[in-house]
Amino acid sequence: MAGDFNTESMLDMYLFENTQLLEQLQETVLEQKDADSFDEDSINEIFRTMHTIKGSSGIMMFDNITAVSHKLEDVFFYLRESHPDNVPHVELVEHVLEVEDFISNEMEKIRNGDPADGDASDIIADLDKFLNMIKNGGADGGAGAPENVHEEPKHFYIAPVASAASRFYKIFIHFFPETEMANVHAYKTVYALKEIAEDILYSPEELLTDEKCGETIIKEGFRVLLQAQCTEEEVRDLIGVGYDIEKVDVFECDANQFLLGFDFGDNEPAPQIDLESSVEVIEAKQEAAQAQEAPKPAEKKPETPKITPGDFVIQSKEPGRQKKLAKDKPKGEKAAFISVNVSKMDQLMDLIGELVISESVVLQSSDLKVPGLNLDNFNKAAAQLASISRDLQNVIMSMRMVPLTNTFQKMNRIVFDVSRKLGKDIEFVMVGDSTEVDKNIIEHISDPLMHLVRNAVDHGIETNEEREASGKAEKGKVTLSAKTEAGKVWISVEDNGTGLNRDKILAKARKQGILDDSKPDSAYTDKEVYQLITLPGFSTNEQVTEYSGRGVGMDVVVQNIQAIGGALEIDSTPGFGSIMSLKIPLTLAIIDGIVMEVGTSSFVMETGVIKQFIRVKQDMMIHEPNGDEFVMIRGECYPVIRLGKWYGLEEYQESVEDGVMLILEVEDRKICLLVDNLVGEQEIVVKPIPSYVKKVRGLSGCTQLGDGSIALILDAPGLVE
Amino acid sequence: MDETKRLLGQQEEMDDGEDRKNTQRGKYMTFKSGPEYFGLEIQYVQQIIQYQSITKIPETEDYIKGLINLRGKIVPVVDVRLRFKQGEYEHNDKTCILVINVKDSTVGLIVEQIAEVVEIKEENILPPPTIGRGDKGHNKYVYGIGKVGNSVKLLLDPEKLLYDEDTSDTEQIKRVEEE
Repeated sequence: MAGDFNTESMLDMYLFENTQLLEQLQETVLEQKDADSFDEDSINEIFRTMHTIKGSSGIMMFDNITAVSHKLEDVFFYLRESHPDNVPHVELVEHVLEVEDFISNEMEKIRNGDPADGDASDIIADLDKFLNMIKNGGADGGAGAPENVHEEPKHFYIAPVASAASRFYKIFIHFFPETEMANVHAYKTVYALKEIAEDILYSPEELLTDEKCGETIIKEGFRVLLQAQCTEEEVRDLIGVGYDIEKVDVFECDANQFLLGFDFGDNEPAPQIDLESSVEVIEAKQEAAQAQEAPKPAEKKPETPKITPGDFVIQSKEPGRQKKLAKDKPKGEKAAFISVNVSKMDQLMDLIGELVISESVVLQSSDLKVPGLNLDNFNKAAAQLASISRDLQNVIMSMRMVPLTNTFQKMNRIVFDVSRKLGKDIEFVMVGDSTEVDKNIIEHISDPLMHLVRNAVDHGIETNEEREASGKAEKGKVTLSAKTEAGKVWISVEDNGTGLNRDKILAKARKQGILDDSKPDSAYTDKEVYQLITLPGFSTNEQVTEYSGRGVGMDVVVQNIQAIGGALEIDSTPGFGSIMSLKIPLTLAIIDGIVMEVGTSSFVMETGVIKQFIRVKQDMMIHEPNGDEFVMIRGECYPVIRLGKWYGLEEYQESVEDGVMLILEVEDRKICLLVDNLVGEQEIVVKPIPSYVKKVRGLSGCTQLGDGSIALILDAPGLVE
Repeated sequence: MDETKRLLGQQEEMDDGEDRKNTQRGKYMTFKSGPEYFGLEIQYVQQIIQYQSITKIPETEDYIKGLINLRGKIVPVVDVRLRFKQGEYEHNDKTCILVINVKDSTVGLIVEQIAEVVEIKEENILPPPTIGRGDKGHNKYVYGIGKVGNSVKLLLDPEKLLYDEDTSDTEQIKRVEEE
């Protein structure tokens, strides 16, 4: 690459754009994986995606990606042109996904700063085979004219080999503004250059078919890329400066620059001239290609990729196709979304947090408490301010919310892959994929969800034969659903397979010595039994398959989910399938909390774990000789933690009758927490305790309260422990 | 108090800015703790704020006074006097919090009184005296003694100041034992 480019940001852009393209590609492919064939729009889209990836990878000189995308582009070019009707669809889907995987993989390497060194030759060979197969198979349907067209790529794609003596030129020709029919003059020049050219590329391309391009040429100049074995003088001589040409700039460049094509930016792609065909043939092709098109270069700008020599056949079809796509994809889409660096969002969030705090500092200022002040207007303005800052908070929160769609799409892919490999016929249903979750959370649930889905497909659902044998008529089905309920998001993976085998799990647990030997099997509830499978090293699947059965997985799932404050619930009906539900908080950043005071310190407890507030009498307390305390409330006995004593705080209420008891429930365990008094409920912004301070038991973070002071967030599971 | 305000102003002028590191070289923020004056390289100092109320964190070392809210950022504060085992004292209006940035973590230092920013040339910095062997008192945090006119400033190593050698030593021993 030329050194003066900022390759870093180009690389970022390259990765970002292509990642999005691939995601979209995968979505398109998977949407139609069960169909008989791709519809025309999808074929066009896949073709376009591959073309764009090929173009940008070529620019970035990732040759293997270029080669693979090029090959797939060939395949789809054929599909698009010849409409063969006997394409093995599933095989095609697999090929596309294979290419997608390869490119994703390479891009991951690039992202990590490693060289993109994957070997594409196998995939290319496969695709070649596949292409030949559909070509031969589709001979009866696709014979005739289209056959010719798709033969061409082979012919054209072999870019003329540059011999050592070849030199490369970039030529800019400016015609006099008064020149009429500049396009014809330009064509004359091209014609002259062709005598010496080994490879030639020019812009605008439709010299003879589009009269309007004459204006473009006059306005912007006529650009030619030339590969030839001659000197600059010879080139200049051939072009000649006559009555029509104002100025000719000839720059010599190297092969790499040449391959980059023009830095057109806003221009039409230029075709390569086929040296072995006559001009007439080319014209005819161009005419055929552009017969129905009314070129408006401005409209096509955004989608026109930079091209390299060798793209002729594909490119000539481009204009017509792009127009169609432009209709499919309204321009608004680009304008409606911008991508923002997450750190900027975090910064904004912090600033809004500060704003809220400064606001309350102002509104509660002691200066306002001077008696005799008339604050009517002030109060009105203050109310207005408060409502705006509340809205602002809501907006920033909603900005961090991302739909689960992408995550769910990935699962679709997994179901497809795994079920194909295992030979199971499985239907995948997504419900509520537009449910929104905080971005941080999405990052954390992707892996756990993958495990669950894989499990469902692998040993949730039986093989086709087993299903038949057990008289299940319907297809195997995996349902992935999401919903919001009570401030939590529920994501469940449901399958209609065998369900969990209680006896098998119990037997295995006995074997591993997890269970208490004195307790009979019947003493365990179904729920308890099912939870056993989340223990490390526990797997009932006797055989380790490629996808599951190693006993790692469920415990990792549970760990990951707990790390973000979520839980996993397992339910199952033997013979009819099982449901794994993840219950996760909507957001990590803001939680609903109860603010309370102990002595001079403020604490916050997440509202969700608090079951009850209660004032207790001294006679309800039970004291153990070892200092442990319990309280009897309505016939139930709870262990008591006095927060003040626990942390050795100052000036806390000694008497239980002056304080308030909080009954906390964490995973079926209940404790009572004694605090001095409650301040109120509010949404709190969770911040970590600075790492300089070592971890304190029972604290999970801190937050700022409305008056700017800091409260410590209590970690209920930590306290229960 | 006025002195503090003046220094706050001075601080703003200096402000952050990596490219100013060169101009900051050899400059030290000095402050008083107990009877002595200490110096801290100015590049570590982020800002000076007036003493404000501190939220205590239970179960931490006594010199970690707690957390303050520094414009939305939560910053732990360390009482320098307690760190130097110079005993408790009454906070007054000269008490300041010196916010420093060491190894990507921001920590506030409660100091009795901010003095001034001085320039100390390298030739005026002497190694600390090693009388009495052993790391007694605050010597372990002091890497040099700077001479300014007739007075001396004890120059502090902020990393050692924050991360107690004692505990890290015992932790290391523990780790070795575990291995």
